[in-house]
Formats: sequence, C-alpha cells, structure tokens
Amino acid sequence: MTAGSEEIVVSHLTKHYKTLRAVDDLSFTVHSGRVTGFLGPNGAGKTTTLRMLLGLVAPTAGSATFGGVRYADLEQPIRHVGAVLEASSAHKGRTGLNHLRMICTAAGLPWEAADEALARVGLTPAAKRKFKGYSLGMKQRLGIAAALLGDPRVLILDEPANGLDPEGIRWMRDLLKTLAAEGRTVLVSSHLLGEMQQLADDVVIIAAGRLIRQGPVDEVLGSMAGTAHVRVRTPQVAELTAALSEHRATVTPLPDGALLVTGLDPAAVGHAAFANSVELHELTGERADLEQVFLQLTAGKAGIR
Amino acid sequence: MKLVKAELFKIRSTSTWWVLGLITLALWAATLLTNWAGSSINAGVDPADQGLSPDQAEQIRVANEAVNVASNLYTSGQFFGVLMVMLLAAIVVTNEFFHQTATTTFLVTPRRTSVVLAKLIASTLLGIGFWLVTSLLNLIFVPLILNALDVGPQLGEPAIWRAIGLNGLAYVLWAVLGVGAGVLIRSQVGATIALSTGYVLGYFGASILFFLLTPRIGEWFSKLQVLVPPLASQLMVAGTELPGNPPRWVGAAVLIGYAAVAGGLGTWLMRRRDIA
Repeated sequence: MTAGSEEIVVSHLTKHYKTLRAVDDLSFTVHSGRVTGFLGPNGAGKTTTLRMLLGLVAPTAGSATFGGVRYADLEQPIRHVGAVLEASSAHKGRTGLNHLRMICTAAGLPWEAADEALARVGLTPAAKRKFKGYSLGMKQRLGIAAALLGDPRVLILDEPANGLDPEGIRWMRDLLKTLAAEGRTVLVSSHLLGEMQQLADDVVIIAAGRLIRQGPVDEVLGSMAGTAHVRVRTPQVAELTAALSEHRATVTPLPDGALLVTGLDPAAVGHAAFANSVELHELTGERADLEQVFLQLTAGKAGIR
Repeated sequence: MKLVKAELFKIRSTSTWWVLGLITLALWAATLLTNWAGSSINAGVDPADQGLSPDQAEQIRVANEAVNVASNLYTSGQFFGVLMVMLLAAIVVTNEFFHQTATTTFLVTPRRTSVVLAKLIASTLLGIGFWLVTSLLNLIFVPLILNALDVGPQLGEPAIWRAIGLNGLAYVLWAVLGVGAGVLIRSQVGATIALSTGYVLGYFGASILFFLLTPRIGEWFSKLQVLVPPLASQLMVAGTELPGNPPRWVGAAVLIGYAAVAGGLGTWLMRRRDIA
C-alpha cells in the first residue's frame, strides 16, 4: 500500500430502515496522518455509519472504502483496519488475554501479539482476570488492545471516551495523537465536543443522517467566529442593559448573575459601560467553541426521529 | 482451519462446555441405570400373558432379543447427551450475540459463511467428543450389566457396532441442528429454554399424541412418528429393525434433512443480518 491509500472514502452512503432514514446520502473523506472527529447528536447515525464502513451493516445504497477497497474485500482486514465499537463486547467468563488470543487465532496472528497489545494499553496485570471483573475503563482499553492487534494503518473508534475517567481520557487522547503522528488514519466518533476540540485535526459533523459540515477544526470554528459572546458582571444590571440595547446588542441574564452579550466585541461593551459610568466586575470575551458551533449547526435536527 | 481452531478456543476458554459435560455425565449415569432396570423388567414379561395385540407382542419379543437389549444399553445417554450437544452448539452461536462478540468475530472475518461453517465444524467435533466419552463409558460398564442379565457382552454382533456408530451420527446431526437453532433464536436464554423444553416435551408429547391418535386415524399415522426429531434419533440406534417401525435409515434421513435445513437456513440468515 502507498502512503495515500489508507484514506477512508464514504460515498453516498445510505441506510433506510422501515420508516427511518438513519443515514441519508452521506459522503465524506477521512485523511491519513490526522485525527478526524466524527460528531453528531445521539441518534444522528454515527454508529450506523461506522458499522456500514466495517461491513457489519449492509448499506441500502452507496459505498465506503479503505484505499479503494471495501472492508469485506480486504485481505486479513484486521491488519489494515482496527475498530473499537462497544466497550462491553467480550465474553464475561473469558479472560482478557484469552479474548485477544481468540482474535489472534482467527486472524492467523501469533499469540505474542496479544501480550504486546495488552502491554501497550497497560492491562498486563489484568491479563488473567475474567472480563466481568473489568471496570468500564479497562474494557475500553481491552477494546483498543484488540484493535491494535494487527498493527493496522486505520483506526476507527466509536465513542471511546465513554466511561473513562479524566486520566483515562488523557491517556486515550495521547495514544490517538501518537497513532496519527505515525501516519495512521484515525476516525473517532463522539458527542463529547470539548474532548474533540483538544484531540481532532478534522471534524465531520452529521445530524439526522446527513452531513452538516466537514473540514479542519480551526476552519469550522472560524466560520462561526461572528457569533462570539461577551460575558460581563456588574452591580448596575438595568443601566448596562439599557446602554447595550442602544447598540443593538442582545443581553441575556445568566443564572449566576452575569450577563451574556451577543453582537458586540469586548472593547465595545467596555466602552459602552465606561460612557454610561457603569461599574464592571468582569468582562470576558468568549470565542465560539466547538460545542456552541455544534449546537448551532445541529439545532432543530435533534436525534429523536 | 484457523477459524475452526478459533471456535474451539472460544469453547475451551469459557466454562459452559464442562458444566454441560458434567450434567451429561450425571444424566448418562441415570439413563444407564434406568435402562438396566427397564431391561430387567422387560426380560420378565411374557408377551403372551398381557393381552397385547400381536404387533405389540412381536415388538416386545424382538426388543427382548439380547442384541437389542445390548444396543439399547450401549447407546445409553443418547437422549440427554444429544440435548446437551445441541444446547452447546446453540450457545456457540447465541454467545456471540449475548456477549456482543459477533461484532469482533465478523470484523476479524467478514466472510460470514466461513464463520458459520467453522461453528458447524467445531460443534460437530464437540458432538463427536461427547459421543466418544459416553460410548467409552458404555463399553466399560455395559458388559458388566449384560453379564448380570446373563446375556454376555454381545460385542461380537455387528449390529451393536452399527448402533454405536449411528449414535455418533446422531450426536453430529444434533450439533448441526443446534447451530441452526442458535441462529434462528438469537436470545441465549430463549434458545436454551426453547430447545430443552421443545426437545423433552416434543419427545413425550409426540409419543403420547401418536399413542392416542393412531387408533383413531389409522396405522399409517404412527409411521409419521419418525418425523419428530428425538424419535428419529432413537430409531437410528435400534439394534435391528423393530417390527411396526420404519427402517433405521429413515430416521437418519429425517435427521439429516432437519440438520441440512437448520444449517442452511442459519448460514443464509447470518449472511444477511445486520450486526448492530
């Protein structure tokens, strides 16, 4: 395989259930050497899309390929693509090590790969423990170990941060960044947007089964910069509200007593306060973050359909 | 081949197989004792005394022939043994859904037909294992019982070895049936309960039903008994042809038919199904 051939290309992918268009004519591309965040509200069709990518769910129309080849047509697929789909997908009465050995046997990999993968995710001490005794975080780590067994060029993870504690999330972030830096293609779905902002290089945002926006994180955020907010705190709420309203700004009281001002930058808010002799205790410009962009982009296309 | 190894490893690395194995051993012992008792009682019955129809009297007379008593004893444990093998085979499939390992399995091997075939072969091997163990135990203990009944071990009779061999075929076919049933009934608990009650009730229910209805409907109706899977597999291991019963190969053909349908349907369903 050449370096560029591990791109994931999703083309007009569609899945209709009886009354539901779970995924609707979805097209996007995932580039190698970068972490791509796959975002959408719950029920947007993220999991269905990933499962179609991996040949587990049959698409109604369209296709998904890895370097031009469908997953089911890959020779020894787990040597090309590693996937983590559900944290709890192992037999409860089987040990973690045996879970990985089982995969090695089916894939024709040596059993040593299981030991190495366990070590890489820090699970060696729990190798001989049964899966039912694992914490959610350990289950996630075992899932990642399974995905790494074949040393794949592409990694696909469905909500990998679920159930991880802050330290685990940090570990996951570092691991995925390292894997991408090694030139691998990394696709991570999530509804935890703050996490994505720190992790992803690119984002693909979907809602109600359709593509909303695709591009580098900075670009997607930048396109929404005009809607930044200013947060102010003052003992003279009425006076400031009146003064700002003259500048056509929108003022929304926040539960903690501060005000959220939309339509002016921090300098303009400060000047308006100064000109009207209003005392300020706090003045903060808030850049749009992925969370707000996401909520705006997906507003009205909620997950329950 | 590596898929069969993987399936066998899956079975080996969990405890279900030896739990069901122990249950099988216990039930085998109980069955052997029951068959012993049954043979002793039957041996004391003089068919002429009982006011039986000539057909029934003939059946008992033939069943009492040493070779048939022996073949019945040498295949002891079949009734529950094949049930356990079927359950294990079904669990080989339902486990994948119960523990959500189907995802992993099909990620490693997207060619699903190969996966189902590997499961069929692994379950079959498991069935053969169960058959080997029970047959070995029978070969150790049955000669003692036969000596106690004053009939000699009968191991020179080809009919005995044919019965033991066909018994092995029964174990294999029930394993295949189990895999097919596991695909059809994906719920682990559902499959276990449905298969065991279906098997036991099907056997006794069908026996009673045919017993009650045959006099009303006619003698031909009782020939249909062989269509009930557990009755078919019992027919297969009869030592010689029993009068009034269809020939043994019919039992085998019926079971092979069921196994082929279950295996084929299971493969077809597994290929089409979305793994979510």
